[in-house]
Amino acid sequence: MASLRKVLGKRIFNAFLAILLIMLINFLLFRLLPGDPARLMTPRLPGDAADAMYERNVELMGLDESIPVQLYKYFISTFMLDWGESYRHELPVTEVVANSILWTVLLLGASSIVTFVVGIILGKLAAARRGKPTDIAITGFGLFFYGMPIFWFAIVLMIVFAVWVDVFPVSGYMDHGRSPEFTLDAIGNILWHMALPVATLGIGSLAGIILIQRNSLVDVLTEDYIVTAYAKGLSEKQVMKKHATPNARLPVVTTIAMDIAFILGGAFQVEYVFTYKGIGWMTIDAIGNYDFPVLQFIVLIGGVAVVIANLVADIVLVMLDPRVTIT
Amino acid sequence: MTNFQRLFDRGSRRVLGPIVGPVWTDKISLSMKGFGKTTDLFIATWMGRVGLAIIVFFMALVVYADLFVPYDRNFSSTEILEDPSWEHPFGTDSIGRDVLTRTMHGTKASLTVGFVAMAISMGIGTGVGLISGYWGGWRDEVIMRFNDVFLSIPWLVLMLVIAAVFESRTLLTVIIIIGATGWSWTARIVRSQVLSLKTRQFIERAKAIGAGDMHILKKHVFPNVVPLVFANAILTIAIAILSESTLSFLHLGPQDVETWGRVLEDAYVASAAMAGPYTFIIMPGLCIVAVVLGFTFVGYAMDEVLNPKLRRR
Repeated sequence: MASLRKVLGKRIFNAFLAILLIMLINFLLFRLLPGDPARLMTPRLPGDAADAMYERNVELMGLDESIPVQLYKYFISTFMLDWGESYRHELPVTEVVANSILWTVLLLGASSIVTFVVGIILGKLAAARRGKPTDIAITGFGLFFYGMPIFWFAIVLMIVFAVWVDVFPVSGYMDHGRSPEFTLDAIGNILWHMALPVATLGIGSLAGIILIQRNSLVDVLTEDYIVTAYAKGLSEKQVMKKHATPNARLPVVTTIAMDIAFILGGAFQVEYVFTYKGIGWMTIDAIGNYDFPVLQFIVLIGGVAVVIANLVADIVLVMLDPRVTIT
Repeated sequence: MTNFQRLFDRGSRRVLGPIVGPVWTDKISLSMKGFGKTTDLFIATWMGRVGLAIIVFFMALVVYADLFVPYDRNFSSTEILEDPSWEHPFGTDSIGRDVLTRTMHGTKASLTVGFVAMAISMGIGTGVGLISGYWGGWRDEVIMRFNDVFLSIPWLVLMLVIAAVFESRTLLTVIIIIGATGWSWTARIVRSQVLSLKTRQFIERAKAIGAGDMHILKKHVFPNVVPLVFANAILTIAIAILSESTLSFLHLGPQDVETWGRVLEDAYVASAAMAGPYTFIIMPGLCIVAVVLGFTFVGYAMDEVLNPKLRRR
C-alpha cells in the first residue's frame, strides 16, 4: 500500500504543479505576446481622448510595472481568490462567469454521457466484428464525424431540424424572456432547447472513444489468453465480457479524461452557433470586446478542470489496475 | 507492380539522378528498398485509396483553380444571397460574389495552413520528444510538466485566446498559432517511442563502441521514430485545417486571404442558415469535411501499414 500512496502522492503533486504552470502561461499569454492589450482595449477615437483612455487602461491593467512585479501580483491575487474585474460588465469575473457556467456544465454533462455510452457500445461492436462490414461502417462513421468541424455540424443540424423541419428551437437555452425555475414546464423547455446542442456535441465527439475502445479491444483479442479462453469452450459473449473488456478498459479511461478537453472545445463552437449563453458563448463575446480578465479566468478554470479530470482518471486507473506504476 | 512503385523500386536513380546527384541516388535507392511493399499494403486498404484520391483532387484544384474559376476574384454582381443557379452553382454571398469562386480560391490557403502548421508542429514535437526521451532526467521532467499543461488547457480555448491577442492576423500568424499549439501529442508519442528504443540492444551496442549521443540520435533513434512521426504528421494536417476553419469561423482567422473558414464565417453572419442560400454554408463545409477525411483516411491507412503489430489482425 505504501507504493500506492507514493504513486498517488506524485500524481497529486504533478497536478498541483500543472495548475501553477497554467497560471504562469496564462499570465505570459497576455503580457509577452506581440500586441498590446491596453491598446486593443482602447477605442479608436480621434484626438487626445484615445490617448487619455490608453493611459488609464495601462494603469488599470497594471502594465506600467515591471514584468516580475506584475507576475508576483498576479500569483498573489490568484491565490487570494481575487480574479479581477470584467472590463465590460464592471463586475468581478466570478460573478460574470457564474451566470453561465451552469449551462455549460449541463451541456457538457449531457453530451459526455451520450458520447461515452454510445462510443463504448459502438467500439465494442466494431471490435467484435473486426474486418467485417459492421466494423467498416462504424469506423467510417466515427472518422466521418471526426473530420467534421463541430460548428458546421451544428449549423447543418440547425438547418435541418430547426429551419426546414421546425421541431427544435434555433437559439438560446430557454424561450426568450423566461428564467429557469424548478417546474416541470421550465425543465421541459430547457431540455427541448438542449436537444440539438447535445446531439451535435455528443455525435461530433464520438470518433475518439469509438476508435480507442475498438483498437484496445482488438489489441487484447490477439493475446494468447483469449485463444485459451476460446479453447476452453467459452462462448464469444463470455470471452468478450470476462476476458477482453476488463483488460481493454485502461486506455479507454485515459481517453475519456483527455476527451473532456476536446468536448469543451466543441462546446464553445456549439454554444456560439446556437447562441446558447454558456461559457463558450461568453468567451467569444469577451474576445470581441477585449475583456481580458474574463478570458484569463476562463483559461484558468478550463485548465484546472481538465487537470482535475486527468487526476481523477489517474486515480481510477490505479484502482482498476494494480500493475500501473509511475513512469 | 504499378508504374508508381517501379519509379521508387528501380528507377529512382534514373528519375532522381539529375535532381539530387549520383551519390545521393544510391542512398535513396537503398532507403526506398521496402517502399514497394509498403505502397502495396497501403493501396490495398480502401481507406488509403479513397483518402489519396480526395487529396489528389484538392491538390489539383489548388494548381488549376485559376483555369476553372467561373468569375474573377473581385467580381461582384448586384444579386446578393441568390439561391444556386446555372450562373452561380453555389449561390452568391452578401455582397454578390460567387460562392463557388470563393470556395475554389479558399482551397489554397486552407491546404497551406494544413501543411505548414503540420511542419511546425512536427518539428517542435519531434525535437522535444527526442530530447526528453533520450536524455531523460530533469530535462524530461521539465518538458513533460509543460507538455501536460499544454494538453490540459483546452486546445481551442488556448488558440482562441492567443489569436485574440494579435491585433491583425495574416495567414502566417494563424499558421504559427496553430503550429505552436499543436505539438504536444507528437512530443508525447515520440518520447514514449524513444524510451522503448533506448532499452534495445542496438543502441547499447552503439554506445559500447563509443558512439556519441548526437550520432546515436541521428543514425539510430531518429530513423526509428520517422514512421511514427509520418503517420502522425498526416493526421496533424487534418487537425490544422480544422483548427483554421474554426478560428476563422469565430472571427479570429487570417484577414489577408480567403479560406474555407472565412467563407463559412461570412455565411453564418449573413444568416444563410436561416434564409439561404444553404449552399453558401453547405458547400465550403463539405470541402473541409472531404479534405480532413482524406488526410485522416491516409493517416489511418499509414498507421495500419507502418505499425507491424496491427498488420496481423
